[in-house]
Formats: sequence, C-alpha cells, structure tokens
Amino acid sequence: MTADAARPEIDPPQRRVLLRAGGLNKRFGGVHAVRDISLAIPEGAIFAVIGPNGAGKSTLLNLLSGIYRPDAGSMVLGGIDLTGLPAHRRVRHGIARTFQKIRLFRHLSAIENVVAGFHIHYDIPAWQYVVHGPAFRRNHARCRQEAARLLAFMGLEARAHLPAGSLSYGEQRMLEIARALATAPRLLMVDEPAAGLNTAEVDTLLERILMLRRDGLTLCIVEHNMDLVMKVADRVMVIDYGQFLFEGTPAEVQSHAGVVGAYLGGELR
Amino acid sequence: MTIILQQGINGVVLGSLYVLVALGLTLIYGVLVQINFAHADIVTLGAFSAYFFMHGVGGGYLASIGVSLIVGGALGWLMNTAIFAPLQGKGSELLPLIATIGVSVTMENAMLAWFGPIPYAFDSPYSNEVFRFGGTFITAQNALIVAVSAVTIGLLYAFMKFTFLGKALRAVAQDRETAGLMGINPNQLVMLTFVIASALAGMAGAMLGPVLVLTPFAGTSVIVKAFAIVIIGGFGNFEGAILAGLLVGLIESFTTQYLGPGMIDIVVFALLLMMLAIRPTGLIAEKREENV
Amino acid sequence: MSDAEPARLTPARLGLGPIGSRRLALLCAALTIAVLPLVFTDTYWRTNLIVCALNVMLAIGLDFVLGYAGQLNLGQSAFYGIGAYVSTLLITRLGVPFWPAFAGAVAFSCLAGVVLSLFAMRLRGHYLAIASLGFAVITYQILLNWISLTQGPLGIYAIPPPPPLTLPGLPAIDFHDLANLFYLVAGFALLSYLLVDQLIRSPIGETLTAIREDEVSAASLGMNCGAWKVFAFGVGAAVAGAAGGFYAGFVGTLVPDAFFITESFTILAMVVVGGMGTLIGPVCGAILLTLLPELLRGIGDLRLVVYGVAVTLVVLFIPGGIAEAARLALGRLGRSSRRGGAR
Repeated sequence: MTADAARPEIDPPQRRVLLRAGGLNKRFGGVHAVRDISLAIPEGAIFAVIGPNGAGKSTLLNLLSGIYRPDAGSMVLGGIDLTGLPAHRRVRHGIARTFQKIRLFRHLSAIENVVAGFHIHYDIPAWQYVVHGPAFRRNHARCRQEAARLLAFMGLEARAHLPAGSLSYGEQRMLEIARALATAPRLLMVDEPAAGLNTAEVDTLLERILMLRRDGLTLCIVEHNMDLVMKVADRVMVIDYGQFLFEGTPAEVQSHAGVVGAYLGGELR
Repeated sequence: MTIILQQGINGVVLGSLYVLVALGLTLIYGVLVQINFAHADIVTLGAFSAYFFMHGVGGGYLASIGVSLIVGGALGWLMNTAIFAPLQGKGSELLPLIATIGVSVTMENAMLAWFGPIPYAFDSPYSNEVFRFGGTFITAQNALIVAVSAVTIGLLYAFMKFTFLGKALRAVAQDRETAGLMGINPNQLVMLTFVIASALAGMAGAMLGPVLVLTPFAGTSVIVKAFAIVIIGGFGNFEGAILAGLLVGLIESFTTQYLGPGMIDIVVFALLLMMLAIRPTGLIAEKREENV
Repeated sequence: MSDAEPARLTPARLGLGPIGSRRLALLCAALTIAVLPLVFTDTYWRTNLIVCALNVMLAIGLDFVLGYAGQLNLGQSAFYGIGAYVSTLLITRLGVPFWPAFAGAVAFSCLAGVVLSLFAMRLRGHYLAIASLGFAVITYQILLNWISLTQGPLGIYAIPPPPPLTLPGLPAIDFHDLANLFYLVAGFALLSYLLVDQLIRSPIGETLTAIREDEVSAASLGMNCGAWKVFAFGVGAAVAGAAGGFYAGFVGTLVPDAFFITESFTILAMVVVGGMGTLIGPVCGAILLTLLPELLRGIGDLRLVVYGVAVTLVVLFIPGGIAEAARLALGRLGRSSRRGGAR
C-alpha cells in the first residue's frame, strides 16, 4: 500500500459519523500548527490521533473542543454546526475533554471536582438557588450519588474527599476523566491519557476505555503510546507537521511506510 | 497654532515621564507577569529623596537624580525580596498584587504622617530658565526631562535588544522554565529587572518633583496614568509603552488646554476602557494564546 | 458528622447537623444584633456600629466577587458611591419616596457592575484590577466634576434618614433614633449575608469556585465563565449599592470624597484580612478593621497604615486571613481524627 493523495474511505457503512471536521487550519504567528486537516469520527468508535511530538495533536484537540478558534475550517457534531461556538457551549452538545497538562481544581476534593461536571445538567428553578427547595435538594443528592459512582468506576472511591492536588499523578489522570464523564458526553476527547502512567496504570486505563466504548461512548484519544493505541483504537489518524498523513485501522497504520518514516524507526512494533 | 505646538511640547514632556514610569511596570510585567502596585510610591520616594538631598544636604540637582536612582533601585530590591520572590508560584496569582496594594497604602500614609500633606516646593535650578522658539517655550527643566528620558529609554532599548543580559531578560519573559534550563538564573534576572525598573521610577520622581506638586500622593497621580499606558500599549510590550506614554502625555496636555484639568483622568480612562473593549491586547497587538 | 466539607468550621461536636448548626449561628447573630444597641447607648458607639454594618455589607459584596469568583475588583467604592448618589438624587430631585429610591439605587449599582464586568470580560486578573480601578477613578471624577448633578465637592446636605416605618399594631419606628437605624442596616447586612451564603452553597458557588480555580477547565465542563463573572459583579455591586443607599440617610451629607479609591482599598483590606475564601471571614474583617482604630484611639491617623501593613502581612504569611487562623487554632484545640485543614 502506497501513500496516496486520495483519502481512504472513512465512513464504514454501518456507523454514522458523530464528529466531522473539514479543512481545519490554525496558525500561531509564523507556525502553521494545523494545516488543512479533515476527519470523521464514527459514532461509538475509538478514534486515535497519533503523531510525533509537535505534530499538532493537542492543537487539533483544542480546535475541536473550542478553546482555539480555527483560522479556517468547519466542525459538525451530529448535525450541529460547532464552528464559532465557544468551548462551554460545545459541552452542552456533548463534547468533553481532558488536558495534556492536568487541570484539576487542586484545592477542591476529588468528589467536588467530579460534581463540578454536573453543572450543565442542573434543572432547578432560579429561586431555588436562594431558597434551597426540594428540587435543589434532589439535584444535590443525585449529583453526589452520580459523582460517587463515577469515582468508583475510575477506582478512586477511597480518595473521594481528599484534595485533588494530593492524589498521585495516575489518580489525577483518572479523576480528570471521571470529571469529564460527569458532563454525560457523546464524545470524550482525551489528551495523552497514558502520559506519566506506569504499565499497571495504563492497563487499568485501557480497561476503562474499553468499558466506556462498550457503554456507547465515542472516544477520541490523542496519544503517544503506540501500545495503547494499537490495543484499543478502531481507527487511527496519523498527523505530522500539522498535516494529515494517513488514516486507517491500527494494522494498516502499522504497516504504512510513511507512518514508520515519520517516527523514524522509533516506537512502532 | 502656537498653542497647539506649545501643548504638543508639554505633552511630550509629560509623556516622557510617564514612559519612564510605565516602562518600569512593563519590564516587571514582562518577566514576572505581575504588577507592582507600589511602583507609584517608589516614584514619590524618589522625588522626596532628591528633594532632601538638595534642600537638606545641599547636593546638586543632577546629583540628586543619581540619588533617586539609587533609592529607587534599593526599594525595588527590597520589594522583590520581601514580596515577589517569596510569593512566586504560591497561591493565586493575584496575591502579589494585593500585597503590593497593602505596601502602597502603607507607604503613602506613612509618608503622609511623616512629611505632612502640605506640598513641598521642590525647586530645581533649571525650573526658571526658559528656551524660546517662535511663539513656544520650554523650560530648561522640561528640556532636561525630555533629554534624560530619551537617553535612558534609548540606552534601555539598546540594552534589551543587543546585550546578552537584555536578551536573557527577554528569554525569561517568554519562558521562564526553559530560560532556566539554558543556564540563565531567572531569579537573578527578575531581581535585576526589578532594580532597573524601580530605579527608573525613582529617577522619574526626581524629575517630576519640580514639575508636579510634591506630596506623598505625587506618585499616585502618575501611576494611574502609567497603568493606563501599560494597558493601552500592551502589557509587557516595550515599544507599545513608549508609544502609549507619549500619546497619553499629549492627551493630557491637550485636555488640560481645551477641557480643563479636571477632565484629564476621565478622558484617559475613557480611552483606556475603550481600548479594553476594542483591542485588549494593546496598540501593538501581540496575540498570546494561552498555552493549554 | 458532616465530612463532605472538611474545611468548614461546623460545631458538629455539639451534636448538631450542618443545618442545625447554621440555624444556631443565625440565631446568635440575630441576638447579637438585637442586644448591641442596648449595650452601647451613646451616639459615638452607635454610629460606629452602623458604620460596621455598612462595611460588612461592602465586604460581603467584594468577597463574593474576589473570594469566590476570583476577580480582583477595585471598583467597590464606585458602586458604593453610585448607590448613595442615585438614591439621594432620586429622593431630593425627583421626590421619590425612600424605598423605591433605594431599590432604584441598588438596581443602578447592579447595572454599573454588570457594565464594568462586560468590559472586562476578556481580561486576565491584572487587567481587570486596573480596569476596575480606572472605573473607580472615573466615577469619582464624575461625582466631583458634574456639579450640576452632584454639587461636586460642596456636597448634598440635609439628607433625611429613611422615613418612619409603621408596622401594624406597633408604634412607628423612627430612624432618627440611631438604635433603630442600626437594626435596619444590620438587618440588611444579615439579609445580604444569608442571600450570598445561600448562593454560595448552591451550584452557583461551586461554579464560581471552579471559575476562580481554572477558567479553561471550567469552560471545558460547560460553564459560561463570562456570564458568571458578570453575575458575580452584579451581585457584589448591588450589595454595595444597598450600603450606599443607607449611607446617605445615615450620614446626612454626601460628598464625593467619601468614595475616593481609598475606600476600595479599605474594603479590600477587610476582605483579605478576614479571609478571602470564606464568607464569615470578611465579615469579621470588616468588624475588626472598623472598630479597631476606634478602640486604639491614638492611631486614628495611622488607620490606613495599619490596614496596609495588615494586608501585606496577611498575604505573605497567612493568606487565608482570620478565617484560616481560626481554623488552624480550632484544629489544634480539637483532637479530630479527620485530616484537618485540607485546603
């Protein structure tokens, strides 16, 4: 299989596309961080974005989640045009994300961090914010139950009331994911979730990701750890120097000459 | 026409002083991303130390400028050591600003208690000499201000652009951690920045003394405009501060002429708020996307 | 035993749950307010108590914006002044009765807060502080220079206190009596406290805290940071405006100098010294910093020096202020098996 200009078929007939982006471009001064990238994430799939350091993966994620505004290009999530929507509005349409550099509320406890993710779901009449009536109490209780459940799912129930900043690095990563899940997303974008984790922690992460997919969540994983990607991803997109390089199944990616070249004989096994 | 020219000259004089003060703030913000609210009071103390050097000790005016430079630098060293260095990286990034607000309030009111509210007559030997061109004039003091400011700014600019230390400073401003990895000691550089910036402020005070009213609150009248300048010029932006400083000086002199001195603050701040609404990154926009 | 909020000072050892202990605290506060004018019967101290109550309101307003939303608002003096002048002008120029004028003042201050916040929406912490300072300076200059409206430095004189309140079955409550005026202002201060406290304990408080800690993170959870900051500013300004509405009738004379930017720094000192991360802290800070200079008679002139030093020292050594100091002290006193001081 040779590297070709024509894009491979990326819409398997049995899956709808959840997130479609076309022609995304982003420059920072002289650096063209993302150059004309298009992608289509099938619903219910695990879509991985890989590439060497500085390839533009995080920038791409920031564009998709709305933190950066693209210089050009479009993004559509399940029929809703996202272009121009600020980050917080996209969350309401079902996009959640974690960050490469962990951004937890360090002084709040683990459970308080997760509870913060429920805010978009609150269904309380305005006056009940002042006089805490029944709807308020119901929401309050439900939130905390849900948060506890998510913490347990990520294996953090023992840490629920400790300040997030005091958790170990691996635990903090899990907590960030739990918090993002609290927003009940349709698409969860995870930025380098395995960074800094030891093998055991990576395995736990893997398990969780597979369970999430089993429950119907679509995931987009930006990752450096090829092992994780190969085990978990349905489709893999490779980018380098901000440009699209190749997309296919993990097996196709592994054997693609251009991809191997990009990594310069590094990590691929 | 001569009125316009005259106000133009006055504007440049004022502007030069404002630039000296604003540059100090800009430098500090550039390396630390912090504001020293007590910067104004360094200006005031610089003025008072020059005053007492001249009228108390009998020193010359030009020498008193040197004294104020030293006093300013010393205060800068003190403030960095006592406040900015210990709070580096600790807690909310607003804490140093709040601490310096405390320092500023303390200094002003201590000076008020010590020196009293009655303005001091700070006469420089140059206040009375006047140069005339056509229908306009400029006092020797004002000419001195412009000359000293221009030279200082020029030297500073050359320092930042061409010397190793200057480049190191800019490196720390852009990325403190990496600069540290490159063998530059960011803490020392931050200290150096503080000393330079505060020395500039002290010197501005010495030159301001004869021009403005010397009370413990002399610095405050300048600082509020200096903040406006820093924002209008773009925080951390050297060239922007110079441009904006001259602009504000000119605005002030023309406002005084045509609208009355009471309107100065309103006009300057209205301009500031307008800038914030339209172009928050300042005149010379340097869009810094937050590194996520 | 409530261990969902390990950082709170709940007297749970009394066997009261969180709701019970809050009601007890409320009762204590109400009783204290009721008793104070009976203990302090001279005009001097009653005046101080009223000033205290006003400062408590101002501190609560600023704390909501600074301590919870994390925005350094240096414009509180402006909202205070706007409240005072708007209510006074409505009463003296347009003949509006006190309470509608008061409501108008609160609404106008709130609007001013919203407008300032909208301007400052995209600004980082330091920019916002400067912008709010600029706003305070402009407001002061307007009050000083718009002579036809405010009479400038000459001021507005002979402003009456709120009109007597007639409740069914009771004799009219005359607010010329300082004790009654204190009850009114302190009552409002307590009300403001309760209102803000309820907001803080609701998801709104959590949202603001999240925004304070990390805006990017908060946005990634769906929080509209800009809108909430505007909300916080509006509330903080409204409370300050209410204080202003009472100030005019209390003092009787309105001059712009009462609302110079120094006032903003004073209120900031109260919040910082009291403890920015709590609501009760700034209340204590306000009370302490208002009464302390009166208690230590000689330092009257150096009041501001004391404030400045206090702020600097607190920030450097105990950033959580009195509230943190109290928590540490209580933590050492009570031999709790829980991990104390989780911050």
